[in-house]
Amino acid sequence: MSSPNRISGGIKFELAISYLLAAGVVSSLILVAAGILLFYFQFGNLAISEKKVMFLQEKNFFYFLYDLFRDGPSHGFSLWVMTLGIAVLILTPYARVLLSVLHFIREKDFKFSVITLFVLVILTLSLAAH
Amino acid sequence: MLSMVSLLFLSIPVGFLGALTGLGGASILIPILVFLGIPVKEAIACGMASIIATSSGSASSYVREKIANVRVAMFLEMFTTIGAIAGATITTLISPTLLYFFFAAFLATSFLKSKRTVSESPPSSEWPDRMSRWLNLQGSYFDEVYQRRIDYKVNHPLWGGGGMLLAGLAAGMLGIGAGAFKVTVQENILKLPPKVSSTTSNFIIGMTALAGTSVYLYSGLLNLTLMGPMAVGTTLGAVLGGRVLNKMRNRTLRMLFIFIVAFLILQMVYKGVSSL
Repeated sequence: MSSPNRISGGIKFELAISYLLAAGVVSSLILVAAGILLFYFQFGNLAISEKKVMFLQEKNFFYFLYDLFRDGPSHGFSLWVMTLGIAVLILTPYARVLLSVLHFIREKDFKFSVITLFVLVILTLSLAAH
Repeated sequence: MLSMVSLLFLSIPVGFLGALTGLGGASILIPILVFLGIPVKEAIACGMASIIATSSGSASSYVREKIANVRVAMFLEMFTTIGAIAGATITTLISPTLLYFFFAAFLATSFLKSKRTVSESPPSSEWPDRMSRWLNLQGSYFDEVYQRRIDYKVNHPLWGGGGMLLAGLAAGMLGIGAGAFKVTVQENILKLPPKVSSTTSNFIIGMTALAGTSVYLYSGLLNLTLMGPMAVGTTLGAVLGGRVLNKMRNRTLRMLFIFIVAFLILQMVYKGVSSL
């Protein structure tokens, strides 16, 4: 029926995923690399540290994001930039599932809407419910 | 003492070798970090986070080139994400000594794949089963070697899902992509062509790694000064590795693979035995 439409929709969707992944990874790695550089200016060394502030620890990723912007660089700008980079990294595949769910709903592909929604729910629960 | 700069420059060749051998950067880097005195759970958690970058980076180009089967990947992700969450939860609970042995044992399973000669011929199109037809999983890609479009069918998606649950469990537990294991499942159960299989597995690994990382996030094992340089270095290395991969001879790659895996197994077993 709508097969030519579906094919071109599929190709656009794959391109969108490709650009989303590339943009997420590149921006996250730039932030992390910038954070490492800033770390040197802030602390005067680049030692791998076992200090408590170097560890990410949050019960809920979405609170973690909120705190990241509310508190700002409370432990220094360099660690904040690195943390932001890691947050972008974590959000990259998450955004990819979100995009997939929207795509399959728009295409009225019921089975794959359910499949991708299932993955989205699992990931959201795991990121939030602890 | 290991610094962020030395870790960054160590991660580049490791990511390069990981891409060439199909082991992935984290599988090689975690035993090295353990050797350098980093606690194993911390190395695993940071390995898991850095895989999101390596995998999503290379998946981006495979999807654009339309080799990876996105539908198959999304179907299998249901299984790998659950596996990875369970695996990562187990790791936060068990003794590190067990992890050394699990790591070594899992690496040993990757020999299963390397033993078989990788067939370069396009697979015969078998008739797909009902489930695959219902999910519309079949696909096609343009093969550079044969200079033509290859159509393929997919088989036994549910059995493949079971295999992926195991792959996800191992990946989440050990902080690795478990790519070789995923490829074995996809080629032997789902009957995906080799190129589709390795690129689709790469696509799935990013999501699996996110699921594992979501558990490590609140376990307090994610060390910024460790995972930052790891993520940047292994991804740069993997991009370089992906570029030369097609120019390398299969025999050279096999030898490299066997040498590296044997070394990693020995290191983890040694660490495990000495911590008993």
